[in-house]
Parts: sequence; C-alpha cells; structure tokens
Amino acid sequence: MSNIAGKAFAMNLITPIERKQVKWNKVAFWLLTPSKPRNFLNWFTKRLGPRFDFAAKLNGLITLSMIHYARWVIVKPEEWPHLGTEQPREDPAYAYQLFFSNFNGSWAQYVDSFSAGIPEGLDGLWNKNVGWPTSVPQGPFHDYVRHNEVWTNYYYSAYPMAASNDIKSSKRLRNELLDFIDRSEKMGAKEFQREYHKLLSSLQGNPNPDFTAEEKFPCLGQMAPTPIVSLASVAVRRARVEIRSVEEVHDAE
Amino acid sequence: MMSTDPDIPLDLHDIQGNIIKAYNREDYVTARYVLYQVTDGAKGREFLAELLPYVTTAAPWSRESAVRAGNPKPPVTLNIAFTHQGLEALELPAASLLTFPQEFVSGMVKRREILGDDGKSAPEHWDPVWLKPVHLLLWLNGPGRPNEHVLDEYHGMLVELAKKFAPGVECLSGHRGEDGAERDYQSGSALYDEDGNITAKEHFGYSDGISNPFFKGTGANPNNVIGGGKVTRESPDTVEGWEPLETGEFLLGYKDEAFEYPEAPLPPLLARNGTYLVFRKLHENVGSFESYLDETSKHFEGGKEALAAKFVGRWRNGAPLATHPTEEEANGLAARWNQAYVSMKKAEADHDDGAYATASNVYADVRKELVAFDYDQDLAGGRCPVGAHVRRVNPRGGLEFGRSGAFASRGALTNRRRILRRGLPYGICRDRSRDDGEHGNIVMMLVASIRRQFEFVQQQWMNYGNDFKLGNDKDPLLGNHSDDPDGIDGRMTIESTPGSGKPPFLCAGIPRFVETRGGAYFFVPSMTALRMISKALVDPT
Repeated sequence: MSNIAGKAFAMNLITPIERKQVKWNKVAFWLLTPSKPRNFLNWFTKRLGPRFDFAAKLNGLITLSMIHYARWVIVKPEEWPHLGTEQPREDPAYAYQLFFSNFNGSWAQYVDSFSAGIPEGLDGLWNKNVGWPTSVPQGPFHDYVRHNEVWTNYYYSAYPMAASNDIKSSKRLRNELLDFIDRSEKMGAKEFQREYHKLLSSLQGNPNPDFTAEEKFPCLGQMAPTPIVSLASVAVRRARVEIRSVEEVHDAE
Repeated sequence: MMSTDPDIPLDLHDIQGNIIKAYNREDYVTARYVLYQVTDGAKGREFLAELLPYVTTAAPWSRESAVRAGNPKPPVTLNIAFTHQGLEALELPAASLLTFPQEFVSGMVKRREILGDDGKSAPEHWDPVWLKPVHLLLWLNGPGRPNEHVLDEYHGMLVELAKKFAPGVECLSGHRGEDGAERDYQSGSALYDEDGNITAKEHFGYSDGISNPFFKGTGANPNNVIGGGKVTRESPDTVEGWEPLETGEFLLGYKDEAFEYPEAPLPPLLARNGTYLVFRKLHENVGSFESYLDETSKHFEGGKEALAAKFVGRWRNGAPLATHPTEEEANGLAARWNQAYVSMKKAEADHDDGAYATASNVYADVRKELVAFDYDQDLAGGRCPVGAHVRRVNPRGGLEFGRSGAFASRGALTNRRRILRRGLPYGICRDRSRDDGEHGNIVMMLVASIRRQFEFVQQQWMNYGNDFKLGNDKDPLLGNHSDDPDGIDGRMTIESTPGSGKPPFLCAGIPRFVETRGGAYFFVPSMTALRMISKALVDPT
C-alpha cells in the first residue's frame, strides 16, 4: 500500500463543487483540452486577453515536465456508480471534481511547484470548488490537498526507472539513432565523423524556445533507480523483498 | 506580528551572529567546533546561562577607528546550537518538542538515505563523535596568523568553564585529528597561499563562498541584492534584476516566499529569530580529483583549468563561466578582484575612512561581476554546463528553460531552495596525489526548512539530475558517485556551443570526490530563546 511506484507518485483528489457551477467548469476544461483544434483555441483566447490565455497557462505545466499523466473529470451527482440493489441510492448535495495525477518527485515537490510556478492556472482549475483556499499561501493549500486526497491502495509501475523526462529522452534518442543508422550507411569516414558529432551535439539538447520540442530535449543523461522519496516506502520495499525470499525458501523446501 | 518590510530592520541584537555575518569575511578565519552531551538537565541549563554573555549576536560591529561608538568586534565569536535530543536533555517541555519538524527530530544519521550518505560517506565511516549522543554545538571563530593563539586561549577558558558542570555536561571526544588521534574538538581554518596570505580557497583549489542569498531586513548594502536576491525579469547586472528574498526563508517568525510564516516550534517566542543549522564535515579526495582532471583533460580542449571550471561553473579563481568563458577574461577579473580586496584591507588597517569608502566601492563593483549573471544567454550550456555545480545548486532563472513567463516568477522553483552558507576548510592537504589525510570543508548551512531547502538540494539537485533533464547524472564535484562497479556511473555532459559543429564532451567514470565524515541537524535559537531555555521558562500552552 503506497502512493509511490518507482519514480512515479500517484495523487487522487476528490473535491466538491456546487451543482450550478458544473457547466461553467466543463466549458473551462473543454477549452483546456489539447485535443481540440489548437487554431480555434488560440484564436479564441488571444481575443480574451492574458487572463484567459489558457495556452500560456499550459506553458507552465509543460515546462514543469514532471507529469506522466493527469486528468480532471467532473462527476455529476447522478453519475456515481450504482453497482446493485444492495447499494442504497445516494443523492449527494454536490457534484465532484476528480483529479488524477501520476508525477515524478515527492508530494511536496509537486504540490509546491504548482503553488509557486502556476498559482493562477491552479486557481482556475479548482475554480469555485468548495473550500478551495487558493493556491497561495502554501499552508492552507497543503491542508486542502491532504484533506481531499484519496489514498492509493495498489499502485504498480512496469518501468520503475522511468521518469517522464526519461521517457521523452529515450524516445527521442531511439528515433535519432535509428535515423542516423539509415543515413550513415553510405557515409565515408570523414563525413561520418562530422555527422556523428552533429548528432551528438543535437542530442545534448538545447532549450532555446525557437527550437521544436524534438530538437530541444537532452538525451545524454543516464537512467537509474529513483532517489528515495520516502524512508517509509523504502522500508516497505525491503520488507517485501524479505517476505518474497522467505516464500521462495518455503517453496524450495 | 513583525513587519517584514525591507525598510524595517531585523532585531540584530536578538539573532545569533553567524546567521547574518559570514565570519570569515570579517577576518575570523580560524574556528573550533565543540560538541557536548547533557545528562543532567539542570546543569546543562546552568552551563548555558554561564555562556550567554559571551554569545555573539548579529548586531553590527563598529570599525576599529570608531570603537567608542558602540559594539566592538570581540576577539573570538561564540555561537550555540542544539540537536532535538539536546533540547530534550535540557528538558524543554514535550509539548514544544513535538512541534519541531520531522527531519530535525530524526537527525542527519537517520536521514542518510535521503542525503545519499552511502558507501564511504555512510555514518559508520564518520568521525566517531557524530555517532555519540550529540546535544549541543558550540562554535568559536577567531583570528588567523599570527594570532591563532587567541582562539586557543578562549577555547581553554571554555574547557575550564565546562568542567564546573561535569558530570552532567560532557564534552564529547572523537573528532578525528590529523594524526588519527581522537580529539575533543574539530578545528577549521582558511587556507593560506605560499606568501602567507589568507585565501578563500578550499582544498580542490576553488574560491568558495562567493555567492550567498540576500534577504530582507539585515541592513546589508542594498546593492548586494545583485546576484544574491531572487531573479526578476530585468537584466541580471542591474539592481532591478533582483529582489531581496523574504526573511522567512532563513529566519523563523517572518514571512517567507510562500507568503506565510514558516513551520516553527511553539511557543512563537522560542522560534522567532531562530533558524536551523545543517552541519557537514566533508572530506575532499584531492588525489582522485587531481588525477581525474589530469587524465580526462588530456582529451579536453582548453585543458585542465578549463575542465575544472566546467565541473563547477566557475573558474578556480572564482570567475563565472556564464560571463567569463575564456581563461584570459577570468584571470583578468580575478586580478582586479584581488587588487580591490588588498586596497580595501590596506585602507582599513590605515584607519583611512575616506580611502576605505572609495576602496570598498571599487570592491563592490568588482564583486558584482562575480555574481551578476543568469543562464538565459547560455540555455544550452555551451559556456556553463547545465550540470555544473553552481548551476545545479542555484539555477537562478534557469528552470524556466528559456520559456519566459512559464511560471509566475522566473525563480519560482528556485527561491524556496536557497541556502545561507558558512563554515571553513579544515586540515592541510600535504600530498596532492593522495586521498587520505585530514582535510576538507566544514560546511554550515542555515535554512528555515531543512527538508525543503538543504535536503531537497542535496538529493534532487546534487545527487540526481531530473529537474535539469539530465536523467540520473549527479553533481560532478559533490555527487555521491558510486564506487560499486555495478552502480550508476559518475557522468557529466559538458555541452558544446550550439552551432559550433563540435560534439559535447562526455566525462565518465567520475569517482566520488567528496565524502561525508560527520554532521548533524541543529536548531539555532535567538538570544531570547536561549535565555528562556536556560531558565526553563519555555511554555507552549
């Protein structure tokens, strides 16, 4: 039982919203969804001024580059699962916002990066949630997150050594190398050296904003297990290894 | 509560001196660090009460020519700090003890896995004294050559004083000395050059302690905000390019960068004007460092000095790579810096106030060049590598990765990770081809939150690289590189200048240059709190 698996940390928040607020928040989420035509989004937000420049707000999120996956969903009162006749029907007073995130680093690093880096964006996403204290100052914001957090009972990662950045760099490295292998088949020694050096210097990364995401990402760092996020979860991991080895001894006997 | 407006000064008479003053900058270039265990609370408090009149505060010192005016410099400074176990031994009420943060209660040894103190840095290799019940740290700073005996005399007085309270207050032995003997104290001293001049160097040869955070209310020269404050969106070589950090990042009881009062023990009077001290004794493997540089720089354009500079982000003479990429420029700056320092010291010694004012202005201008920079003109790391030591521990505006406006402020991810650095080198390196011997750095870090500031920087920025998109690569100089052949390799990418057609230079097999030899987490109370503790008057209800 842990919120940690490899380099990832799981966080789930369920926060109440006034029923009448639901439709407005849904519109805001729709505008933020990157799969909607970007042209329309840009056209729309530019006309509303910087306060509504949702694309710019996502800029901060992207720059944080610590999130594997995040999703915001609004659950209307009638949408709660009803699994059978033995489960009594409920009529919640509020609608609820479910926030689901898998990120790298510790709880505090994640929560504090949001509060310090993109406080406005955060206030927009939790707009009119009941009891939302605003994302700054940090104390009440921490308390709100802790109070509404749902614990992860089972959490598994197939790639425990991969942070979001490790995945981005590995994907780029693979593509560039495969491409280089193709390109270099017929190169002479001199040309090969020149092109190989060019490849390496491109792989070192260059965060210049004029570059495309592909050209930017550094891929020369190595991938290894995570630094320890929590002493308690390390103790649990060790206990698990011990239990497993005892079981193996039993099986062998 | 207190205002934290920059114009409203802090109560410097209530704050322990070393928090505001870097003593080595005030000519206190030798030090002794003494540890005590308290087994009788009442005697411990009496000992504390006896020490109180000698504790050095942060109140400004009058320069010698104006001694009449007020607060003269003491011959030797004295400061006091406690571990959590020490506060318990002094019988602080349980209700107060429970209000300290978890990492301070646990202490440095129990946090070793967070800090990466493994292999040769593991506590079983530390000086034995740090594995004893450390309760109290006293540190004394005194003059350098030829007056080192002054420190010796004061330390002698302290030893005599402490004897009055034994048994009940015991000085702990087990600091490893040069001959392998276990001593009653740890010494520290600035290093001298061949001509006997004091330097700011540590044993690897780098000038240390150049950049320190600048925060509100200290009364320091407002121009020092440049390079020391937090970055704004203006140019880094102007005063507008920086703002003072909030006091609450370094002192409890004041507003911090999250617009609130830092987590602090109760009652508020116990916490206010106090802070936390992270003490680390770090051994430097000079032999490994020199031989790695010699070997690796054979293939590196620019040679040994340039490679040493790339590790740290500053040339060994202190000039930053970000603004002084060539050795020639760096040497020019270092020469001017030295000249300005010598002139200032001479004017001070001559009691020539006019000349002193002029010389200190010149010095401030040169110093500015050492700190007034950011990495916006060097996003790819062609000058200062992205993984260089100074760029890791203080990324300035660098975590926006050139995406201006991504965050509410340029330093949003940096401003709460700043650390005040004090301390001195210890020992003398007698053979630069060997790792053994007794020499390294006594690193003292002052922070309002050990976890958010020190532990985070140590773990995430020095022993890991994800925030810089460098995977698991570590700080080349201070990272806990593995000596296990199956462990993660010690690596660094030294980026080439984009468009130069040159490949990056890849350092591999970097050994562990720095090993932990001791340390603990301490609380540094205010003068008021020291008095309250000494009189058993702490009441959190």
